[in-house]
Amino acid sequence: MSTITPKELGAEKSHVELLHEAQLRKARGFRTNVSVSWGIFFLILIYVFSGQDFLGFKTIQLDMEFIRSNIVFITRGLGETIRISILSIILATTLALLAALGRLSSIPPVYALSTFYVSLIRGTPLFLQIYFFFLALPQLGIILSGLSAGVIALGLNYGAYMSEIFRAGLSAVGKGQREAAIALGMTPGQTMRRIVLPQALRFAIPPVGNDFIAMTKDSALISATGFVHELTWQATKVGRASFHNLEALIMAAGFYWVMTIMLSYVQGIIETRLSKGDR
Amino acid sequence: MGPVVKISNLDKYFGLLHVLKNISVEVRSREVVCLIGRSGSGKSTLLRCINFLEEPSRGSIEVDGIQINIQNGTTREHRQSIHDIRLKTGMVFQEFNLFPHMSVLENVLEGPVTVKGMDRVEANALAEESLDSVGMLFKKDEYPARLSGGQKQRVAIARALTMQPRVMLFDEPTSALDPELIGEVLNVMKKVAKDGMTMLVVTHEMGFAREVADRVLVMADGEIIEDSKPNNLFNKPKDPRTKALIDRYRTGGG
Repeated sequence: MSTITPKELGAEKSHVELLHEAQLRKARGFRTNVSVSWGIFFLILIYVFSGQDFLGFKTIQLDMEFIRSNIVFITRGLGETIRISILSIILATTLALLAALGRLSSIPPVYALSTFYVSLIRGTPLFLQIYFFFLALPQLGIILSGLSAGVIALGLNYGAYMSEIFRAGLSAVGKGQREAAIALGMTPGQTMRRIVLPQALRFAIPPVGNDFIAMTKDSALISATGFVHELTWQATKVGRASFHNLEALIMAAGFYWVMTIMLSYVQGIIETRLSKGDR
Repeated sequence: MGPVVKISNLDKYFGLLHVLKNISVEVRSREVVCLIGRSGSGKSTLLRCINFLEEPSRGSIEVDGIQINIQNGTTREHRQSIHDIRLKTGMVFQEFNLFPHMSVLENVLEGPVTVKGMDRVEANALAEESLDSVGMLFKKDEYPARLSGGQKQRVAIARALTMQPRVMLFDEPTSALDPELIGEVLNVMKKVAKDGMTMLVVTHEMGFAREVADRVLVMADGEIIEDSKPNNLFNKPKDPRTKALIDRYRTGGG
């Protein structure tokens, strides 16, 4: 009869296994702790606006009736905010890519146009640019709707900033990659499309995601035109009318926050997908 | 039959630095030629001039009957000839330069599909055949980052072979490898040589040069100072610089 080893009984684990389990426990513990802390901070935030008395401190009292009766009105701005964001990001990415490629060009006017654009746009405030397209152009006979003016301003502005991201991404692709492509017989266009751009985009996705999130919130500036009924416009409209700005702005802030959390989530998925081949 | 590679009166300057001085050399079909020399002697530059990764400054390059006389400025015809030469040459780099965003198979398919416009099914068969010949077919769905240096270099060789070049250019193919991985790459290169490929190899591997090369060219200061059969070269080097080079490798064990 053979003896039963401790291993078969499952009674003892090797030193290495125990160490590994301890490491896993520690990593899990950290993640749980972070989630719980997040929950607590969130509860504190809610409590601050709950209107309850607590140890002699009076927390902020929100008019729940106002919130209930106006939430639908504010929600109507969501669609417009999303529309502006999507149109602007399309314009911005296109311009950014063109500007970044222009920066790599050996044709002097193309190179100059790219640096000129980035310098001019980064040298002036976004708020001023929005006003410029909406208020100043009509003086020259060019009348843009609030939406077009806003999208053009946001797109131009973020395109200039994002071109720097793309440029960094393009230059992060090693010289050896281009040489390998050229040696295979690829044309400059094929080298760019098949080899350089896919790798550059992978470097660029995280910061571009950040810019997209920032832009979604900067779309609020377009409310200043008074003609684009996006989230912030809707909120200030009802808030001002009945002096309930606190409730109205908190509602809008909540919507922005949820939107950015969703965008970060999508960004994470895209990053994972693009990073195939990293390890 | 004429030579596969014919380099005539080639000069190359980097800025004002004269790195290749009036080089003329021919490589015949199925010949394996090793280029040795100290770093900075111009051997890599010479190799890179053949497929125009470096544009030569003067002279002419001929690969498999396509001749390019170096001139100022480029014409459409000139660019077309360079493209044709690149299709006839396969290149293997010191740093492998596999495309990290593509799987092993995709790396090897890239040339035939994108450059030659080959049908995917046909290209696939060709690519798998090359991968098999370097012993890397079992990793075809892996990404380069998961391979060892030796495996990466073998895939890089397969990638170049799949284009069915007339001549293979190796630019220090084992210099970036850990010592224990050098053997597997050299073995693949021996096999490629045995299959009748014309090869130009810039290398520090004297053992490989001695065993596999039909001719060894020694470069120093931008010139070819010796061009002979390996046995002659290693046993009775003519130039004192060659002797110094060989002695250094013998005693250094490199």
